[in-house]
Amino acid sequence: MSPSASSSRSASRTSGQPRRAAVIGGNRIPFARQNAAYAKASNQDMLTAAIEGLVARHGLAGEQVGEVAAGAVLKHARDFNLTRESVLGSSLSARTPAYDVQQACGTGLEAAILVGNKIALGQIESGIAGGTDTASDAPIAVNEGLRETLLTLNRAKTPGQRVKALTGLRPSQLVPEIPRNVEPRTGLSMGEHMAQTAKQWGISREAQDEIAASSHHNLAAAYDRGFFDDLMTPFLGQTRDQNLRPDSTVEKLATLKPVFGRGEGATMTAGNSTPLTDGASAVLLGSDEWAQERGLPVLAHLVDAQTAAVDYVTGNEGLLMAPAYALPHLLARQGMKLQDFDLVEIHEAFAATVLTTLAAWESEEFCRDRLGLDAPIGALDRDRLNVNGSSLAAGHPFAATGGRIVASLAKMLHEKGSGARGLISICAAGGQGVMAILEAA
Amino acid sequence: MVIRTVSESPSLAPLFAKAALTQRGRHGDLPDSALRREGVVVDRDHLLGYERVCGFGGGDVLPHTYPHVLGFPLQVALMADRSFPLPLPGLVHLENQITVHRQLTADDRLDLTVHAEHLRPHPKGRLVDLVTEVDVDGERVWEGRSTYLRRGRTNADADRGGQAPPLPDRPPAGVIRVPEGQGRAYAAVSGDVNPIHLHAITAKAMGFPRAIAHGMWTAARTLSALGPGTAGPSTSHVWFAKPVLLPSTVELVVDDAGPITVAGLRSAKNPTTTHLTLTLEH
Repeated sequence: MSPSASSSRSASRTSGQPRRAAVIGGNRIPFARQNAAYAKASNQDMLTAAIEGLVARHGLAGEQVGEVAAGAVLKHARDFNLTRESVLGSSLSARTPAYDVQQACGTGLEAAILVGNKIALGQIESGIAGGTDTASDAPIAVNEGLRETLLTLNRAKTPGQRVKALTGLRPSQLVPEIPRNVEPRTGLSMGEHMAQTAKQWGISREAQDEIAASSHHNLAAAYDRGFFDDLMTPFLGQTRDQNLRPDSTVEKLATLKPVFGRGEGATMTAGNSTPLTDGASAVLLGSDEWAQERGLPVLAHLVDAQTAAVDYVTGNEGLLMAPAYALPHLLARQGMKLQDFDLVEIHEAFAATVLTTLAAWESEEFCRDRLGLDAPIGALDRDRLNVNGSSLAAGHPFAATGGRIVASLAKMLHEKGSGARGLISICAAGGQGVMAILEAA
Repeated sequence: MVIRTVSESPSLAPLFAKAALTQRGRHGDLPDSALRREGVVVDRDHLLGYERVCGFGGGDVLPHTYPHVLGFPLQVALMADRSFPLPLPGLVHLENQITVHRQLTADDRLDLTVHAEHLRPHPKGRLVDLVTEVDVDGERVWEGRSTYLRRGRTNADADRGGQAPPLPDRPPAGVIRVPEGQGRAYAAVSGDVNPIHLHAITAKAMGFPRAIAHGMWTAARTLSALGPGTAGPSTSHVWFAKPVLLPSTVELVVDDAGPITVAGLRSAKNPTTTHLTLTLEH
């Protein structure tokens, strides 16, 4: 661990602060590419599998945990109580309460923060946070015109009103509504938004491909050394993330055609953007006492968290820039510098997201004009960034990413030794960002 | 000025028919008269329908452009009358200005008065302004000025009036897919059943390659993208350029760095084609 981490930690800890929630363990199923291994698996199937593996590994069968908070971004109407249904389908005690959370790609991390805060306040002693998403088993809704006609029919009280409602039926209404991956207020896909931001920051194609290649190499190396052995449960025959390409190279990535952005400045390809994926993850949190009673080792503690949002609607800030705004609050509260973190996990929505976030923190102008800081936050040592790979290699089932990162980072910090600190940064649709700090127990 | 008060909102389809049948031989000055409707009660179903079609949030606050659709039938009634010097068919909506003096809600009882003024030459023909004034309890709360062009004898020396500022040369803040049925959807809430908006076949008969979106829909859609603030005290000025052919995809561009926001719609296929430019001041 770095000496700076321990000194800043002791400075920031004051008496009277609530206790810190412990990250005890995590579990996920391997992530699968869209319409592949998990094409017919539902969100509930996957979330149940992730929870069930976590329960098995930590001996929680029949146990009642304080609560389970999880969510999905793309959700069927029938899944209104997705997490509770998953709990009922697991070996946890049926008396375990649960609720759904949704903050787009921030869902999994936000769920962990919510559970962690309840533990910190002493409202619960243990909890599970998770997330699941399927881009394959997507909800398809009836056409808006048909929906309105059917609702009018449902409201009709007399036969005459019913007949009148039925005259609203049109053949064109048979065309269903399929969820589109666009921001509702701008009609632009996340990739198109990111392409604008990347261009504005002058992020090169080469730099993006380098991030992508290292993501694959780092994730493959982590698998090879067995890092995920106690973080993963096989599902539907999958034992590894389906998107992982250990032999990926910058040269191969350079041959791909841009898919987002226009003309000469287009740099974003299918290789340096995360693919649509299916999967689920879950994290076990608790008080130190609860963990000790069960003989469960604590990996890390949840130290602090911060969310932020940007006004991207008229194009004045990039859609995925919110984490850049969240960081200064965390640093000020913890009396830390970015460079104090031993490990940093920046969710690779796109390689360009990581690079623009880092560039923004290095920019004197951005830090002064946008963040109101006297000096730039500064550069991050790349050796501390996403050291076991991130979403470009693993895939990104939206709500499952937070749990994947919390569990992995807690274990990585634990390997580094007590006091090591790590930062998590996740951007989310709607111009939002979620950040959290973990510290090795 | 003679003010004639009507109790009901005039029905538009018969007025359009009347205007078409009586379009020949129109001449002279603008009539010195105004049409008025008093104590207009907002129909919440209609308001919600308008809000949905134009992209405003649903609720009781009247969108910036909403009183325009309440006053529009009076505009048409005034122009369809034989005393109006320009034939209604073929009038082109060139500019539109709106000032919201205070935020209005569905609970306000509106007194609407519409008159025409400022008939003047334009390089491509003649211009006229249709002015809509909205009062609540004797207080001026909203006013709109719609400028229409009658193409005709050219007047090369005529004043073109204030020109639109250049469209911000920026990446799109948003992309709006305008479906084929957009004209029919807006006709249903605005009453503007001009055939050029309804269907490709009727639009072709009027000399357009396809149906075109209502100018005031494109203006309302642009304003709705600028956020809820436009319902409060504010002034907008819209310059309509090339019509939006249906269906099409348009890009929204916004520059709100200065005191006056400049926004507009341009073609997604050919970004050099501007559909409208809008300025907004708070």
